[in-house]
Amino acid sequence: MVGKITENSPVIFTKDVEYAYSNGTLALKGINLSVFKGELIAIMGKNGAGKTTLIRTFNGLIKPQKGDVLINGKNTSLKNIAELSKNVGIIFQNPMHQLFSNTIEEEIKFSLKNLDLSDEEIRNRTNNILKTFNIEKYRKRSPLTLSGGETKKLAIASIFCRNPDILVFDEPTLGQDSREIAFFTNLVKQELDKGKTIVIVTHNIEFAMENVPRTILMADGRIIADGPTRSVINKEFLTERSSLILPQICQFNSELLKIGIKCPDDVNSRNEMKSFLENYLKNKINNIKGETY
Amino acid sequence: MSLEFLNAFKFMKKNTFLHNLDPRSKLLFSIVYTISALIFTEIMPLLIILLSIVPVLISGRLIKQWIKSIRGLFFLFIIIIILNTFFMSLSFAISMILRISIMVSAFSIFFLTVDPNDLALSLISMKIPYEYAFSFSLAFRFVPTIATEAQNIIDAQQSRGYEMQTSGFINQIKNLFPLLVPLIICSIKRAFNVAEALESRAFGSQKDRTFLYKIKYSMKDWIFTIYLVSILIFAVFTRFNFILMPVWLTWSLPV
Amino acid sequence: MDLINFNNFSYRYKGNEEYALNNITLNIQENKFILLAGETGSGKTSLIRCTNGLIPQFYAGFYKGSVEIAGLDTVETSIADLSTIVGIVFQNPENQLVAMTVENEIAFGMENLGISRDEMIKRIDESVKLTEIEHLLHKAPFELSGGEQQRVAIASILVLKPKILILDEPTALLDPYMAKKILNLLKAIQVEQKITVIISEHRMDLILPLVDDIILMKDGHVIEYDNKDKIINGENFKNLAINHPMVFSIFNDLHINKIIRGNIPASIPEAIKYLKDLK
Repeated sequence: MVGKITENSPVIFTKDVEYAYSNGTLALKGINLSVFKGELIAIMGKNGAGKTTLIRTFNGLIKPQKGDVLINGKNTSLKNIAELSKNVGIIFQNPMHQLFSNTIEEEIKFSLKNLDLSDEEIRNRTNNILKTFNIEKYRKRSPLTLSGGETKKLAIASIFCRNPDILVFDEPTLGQDSREIAFFTNLVKQELDKGKTIVIVTHNIEFAMENVPRTILMADGRIIADGPTRSVINKEFLTERSSLILPQICQFNSELLKIGIKCPDDVNSRNEMKSFLENYLKNKINNIKGETY
Repeated sequence: MSLEFLNAFKFMKKNTFLHNLDPRSKLLFSIVYTISALIFTEIMPLLIILLSIVPVLISGRLIKQWIKSIRGLFFLFIIIIILNTFFMSLSFAISMILRISIMVSAFSIFFLTVDPNDLALSLISMKIPYEYAFSFSLAFRFVPTIATEAQNIIDAQQSRGYEMQTSGFINQIKNLFPLLVPLIICSIKRAFNVAEALESRAFGSQKDRTFLYKIKYSMKDWIFTIYLVSILIFAVFTRFNFILMPVWLTWSLPV
Repeated sequence: MDLINFNNFSYRYKGNEEYALNNITLNIQENKFILLAGETGSGKTSLIRCTNGLIPQFYAGFYKGSVEIAGLDTVETSIADLSTIVGIVFQNPENQLVAMTVENEIAFGMENLGISRDEMIKRIDESVKLTEIEHLLHKAPFELSGGEQQRVAIASILVLKPKILILDEPTALLDPYMAKKILNLLKAIQVEQKITVIISEHRMDLILPLVDDIILMKDGHVIEYDNKDKIINGENFKNLAINHPMVFSIFNDLHINKIIRGNIPASIPEAIKYLKDLK
């Protein structure tokens, strides 16, 4: 799955951003980042490295004490959170931090409140989003009666219905089984096709390796690596500082090399490995057959 | 008056004479000083009482926090001066300010130097049942957790376009729902989780619960108690015999 | 004697129409490292709650059948008594740490049971060494990182000397490095103390190499319980929407296409061994 870059100036741009919490701890120490329209990027790192602090600067929840954050070319210090969250939609980790309405329908309508939409538009968007997320049947039910996976969907829906062009997810695959992760992966694909820019903060190395082209690694409030996922998540950065471990595919690659099986450079995903092994084993079987002749 | 004012009441572990005293003697301290402050309305005695707190603060290395708490009251002090100058006298206003400073300082010292853990233990030593003493310290323990949760809720709602400022009194009340409802629900869920964790560790199963740490009234505490009781006796004596006191003690501003 | 016995046990929470647990029959022995796996909503947390009597004593509802822990019935024996045999570490460590310091936290359970002060000090010393948290003894719970909190929670349960240690998604909130560390720590504890450890976990790739047996759950049923190799090569494991390790999923596809035969490797070492043997 590839996020295509379609324009020249970045939609998210930070320059020398610094931020310290009121108790003095420096959470961000000079962050320089450019994200372009249509990109899909992952932000990874230890808990406390500054990942969630950084994404909070994108919609104005946090205003940097030094440096600038520009969203779509405009400095975040000039706008308030309500304005910025029209363009930047952050879906936080815990859906229970949002749900308070009597019905799911009202929950969506609450999200649409400050967008100055006509009643008809509100109705249309509500209907569409409920259908897209397959929760129409719960329309008149209280959000508290939903299961864990469905509340996560509702949380995402309540940001999607606002149609922001930049989407930011905070740990979207936490505690989810393969069905739910597949649903999420598909959702991300669809949004990328619509031209959205997507940022995912995650611990899920396997997910990033399989699906995300670019990864930003943070540690101690700084960006220590920024580039293609496949080259960022490699041995050099696997220290306790960044709290990563080698993804399965990289481990497998290096173990195969140890027994004399060399994978070509482009074997970097599950499917590619599967195809490679399939061919390798087929050749082996043919060779054996050949030898017995 | 910002939230910084509350920081002046937050416990921080230090190894000083004051910190190592039994929480009960520190409670006595707060009570004695409050009573002393209330029995005087004249500036000079109140000033002496306030100044006598300073050595205590120094021994506990609490001067910085104390200044913060007084600074937090600054706004209140200005209002008192303005109001009282119109209705009473400036002299009276200053007495009020001194009184408030003494009471705030006395209790601030208590909260700054008493470990909530020990507080529960001291309640138990005063024959309060363990369950009640424990729920008290449990509340303390979860204050920072709930504060963080509240901030996360505010962030999540603001990211959906929720606006904190709104006009009109009724609207302001309505506007609290998106913050309060998730907070209450999350707190109830948390309470359930904590309860099941407590059950799973045999909470409340034995009448004769044992304790890893105990608090005991030491010699230092007795000395401190005697000192405090003497202050109280001295203060009461001064009050009742105020006419016999030297002139400078009864001095007040001409206004 | 079996350590854990579920006898046709069913349970539904009060106010729910559907049963959370359906006719569970399960017999678990001592000295095992067991994975509890299943899709979200399959009943794993409910199963865990049955082991120390939380179900049905704490969670009001309707039940059928019985559950016995080391021969003790979970309805007739108090949760407090059962907690001397079964120790549960719940999902979010933040909500389990109730004391103001780590040391007091670890002592908490023992204090509740009326254990003597000398014994408490001895046990705290042991468990703190085991979980490597000696340097944290005087810190407050909210000052700790997720991994530290988890280790404190584990230490505070270990001091009760349970025969069974159960953890509900212990690595959920942890980063990968810490997750691996904790799971390896738990394996080491299981082997050294010869207790039974049951872990409900989504991170298959980290835990599969460590387990002896696997319990598979679906829709409130235990659909299979056996040793790891049997489960991995059975039909149920493949068809559940759990997060199969990458190696397993690749070799499973190869198996379906009849390119490999025999047991499907579920971890990298197993896959390497398989390929080496081919040569």
